[in-house]
Amino acid sequence: MKLTYPHMGNLDIILKAFFEGMGKEVVVPPPITEKTLSIGVRNCPEFACLPLKITLGNFVEAMEKGADTIIMLGGFGPCRFGYYGQVQREIVRDMGYNPKIIIVEPPHGDLKGFIKNVVSLFPDMTLKDVINAGKIAWQKMIYLDKMEKALLVLRAHESRRGIVTQKYNEYVNYIDRTSDVREIKRLSLEAIKEMKSLTKPADTTLRIAVVGEIYLLVEPFASQDIFKELNEQGVEVKKTEYITDVVFSCIMPWRLSKIKRTASPYLNQVIGGHAIYTIGNTRLCADDGYDGVIQIFPFTCTPEVVSKAILSKMSKDLDIPVMSLSFDENTGQAGYRTRIEAFVDLLMRRRNMNFVNTYC
Amino acid sequence: MGIKIGIPRALLYYNFYPAWEAFFNELGGQVILSQKTNKKIMDDGVMNTVDEACLPVKVFFGHILNLKKKNVDYIFVPRVVSLEQDRFLCPKFLGLPDLVRASMTDIPPIIDMDIDLYRGYGRKTRSEIKRVGRIFTNDMRKIKSAEQAGESALKIYTKYLKDGFIPKDALRMTEGTKPIKKSTEGSLKIGLLGHVYNIMDEYISMNIIKKINDFGGTVITSDMLSKSAIDYGASCYPKDMFWTYGREMLGAGRYMLDNDLVDGVILVSAFGCGPDSIIKDMVEREYKRKDTMPFLTLTIDEETGEAGLITRLEAFMDLIQWKEVV
Repeated sequence: MKLTYPHMGNLDIILKAFFEGMGKEVVVPPPITEKTLSIGVRNCPEFACLPLKITLGNFVEAMEKGADTIIMLGGFGPCRFGYYGQVQREIVRDMGYNPKIIIVEPPHGDLKGFIKNVVSLFPDMTLKDVINAGKIAWQKMIYLDKMEKALLVLRAHESRRGIVTQKYNEYVNYIDRTSDVREIKRLSLEAIKEMKSLTKPADTTLRIAVVGEIYLLVEPFASQDIFKELNEQGVEVKKTEYITDVVFSCIMPWRLSKIKRTASPYLNQVIGGHAIYTIGNTRLCADDGYDGVIQIFPFTCTPEVVSKAILSKMSKDLDIPVMSLSFDENTGQAGYRTRIEAFVDLLMRRRNMNFVNTYC
Repeated sequence: MGIKIGIPRALLYYNFYPAWEAFFNELGGQVILSQKTNKKIMDDGVMNTVDEACLPVKVFFGHILNLKKKNVDYIFVPRVVSLEQDRFLCPKFLGLPDLVRASMTDIPPIIDMDIDLYRGYGRKTRSEIKRVGRIFTNDMRKIKSAEQAGESALKIYTKYLKDGFIPKDALRMTEGTKPIKKSTEGSLKIGLLGHVYNIMDEYISMNIIKKINDFGGTVITSDMLSKSAIDYGASCYPKDMFWTYGREMLGAGRYMLDNDLVDGVILVSAFGCGPDSIIKDMVEREYKRKDTMPFLTLTIDEETGEAGLITRLEAFMDLIQWKEVV
């Protein structure tokens, strides 16, 4: 049995640590490229969103490398992601592949059944092995996200373009290779220190929060690495959600209720996808004094289209500039770059005006 | 003179209007409908919504602006979360009142009623009905009887639909017109799949039902199929579909394919519709695999060129007729 799973930011490192810890052979899909995307675009329904297309490309490329079992997440709506595994099963069948597809459905109020389901995938493992593998994967998840958080701030001030990213990638590789819980922590703290040493001090920086659909937030390929683009224009970026947050809100439901309360004046219902987080986090970031908010989402994502409309009202109410960008399989960068540049210019000007208004 | 409540003639109007009308009438309100969809309504809608919203939502916004001109006191925009256990509606219905409030400022106040039957028809639903009822009256008995009036009106209406009447005729019959002759003009039976608010709105769908009739076809929609037929079709897929109307389309599509109930199937979906992107693919794939039933998909958006639709429909109907001859 050779397992594979879709790419989503650093998820491959985390899942690899987990499954290898469980004694399974893993085939990590090749990094996402234009080819991956075009496999997806050719075979997926036209109006399905970008995540479906990219993940299908991942599966096909991994199967070409010899994977025979696919792990995919399920769901119970109302976001259509919950049905993606089913659709992909049919698509790969028609493409002539015959892998075993395991769709892991979320607990849905039945935690016992969920754990039983997952454990049944690994019949010959002891509880100790499971805990051990889980611990390594958990640690990697926490510290990789921590590193990325630092990256998105520090890269804005790098002394020479590209060196912070290089350092980051180097340490991500180290972390991928190690399977020692303490080593992971040490490496990540060291990485942050190293990255800091490559920056030059800056006086005024803009801070932009990026909200939106989770796959776009976590996987840089899908958004044409808007984070890097912003960093390179000297803007500190905060992603409002990481893999850690998704996992946390699954196991700690009070986190969701907190966000729901924050979002309630504008959106009084969980409408699927990450719309409620988009709304809630935008409000939090406005209170937090961010200069602007950028919403990113895949084209035709219904929950985010609803939040896009709501965001434009929030932008007026909370006096914070918001820009919405939707991404599809067209990979032309110039259009996005222009809009991002214009947005950053606007924020800069706005800040200077405020300064003038306040002090002169 | 009661309070005037405007109801947009769009989206779930085709599924629930008789119930809403009976409910508000019983409460002493005066129900005012927006006009039938026309170019002005669609244009107004397109101008006032986010550009990526789907066509039916844009049209819904146009209807709200139409109601605004009619000087209504309230506009009824329900938040229909779920109509049965463990199934949802499309996310846009879940956020509809929020979407309306965010996009339009100078409109009459909105009555939003949360209809969430995900965990069954319980206390939560009743308290929502009471909350809305209190806008009109404090008499609890009156609210209760309004609730019942709504329920019984809906029962009659659903029965008409299952008997094979299209919503337009069924709505007229609930208003007391004599039973209309069912439209059995053509000899070819055409399964028409699609959201009711798309295929039954004569402007959005460019009057597709009339056109099919003109080309010698009779329309069968998923509303006309029995519950067991839909259940059969939906159960052919390993995972239960979690959207009520999506499941209806999926089930009806599969049932029509497996049972030779119709001579051909047309699937109408709106450009950029999230659920339909998945459903359409699942249905189409099965039709291609079996390769016995002619299948046509039509995507509609705010473009109003009719010629393309007519050409494709005509070609499709010709093809079916040929198939019958051969």
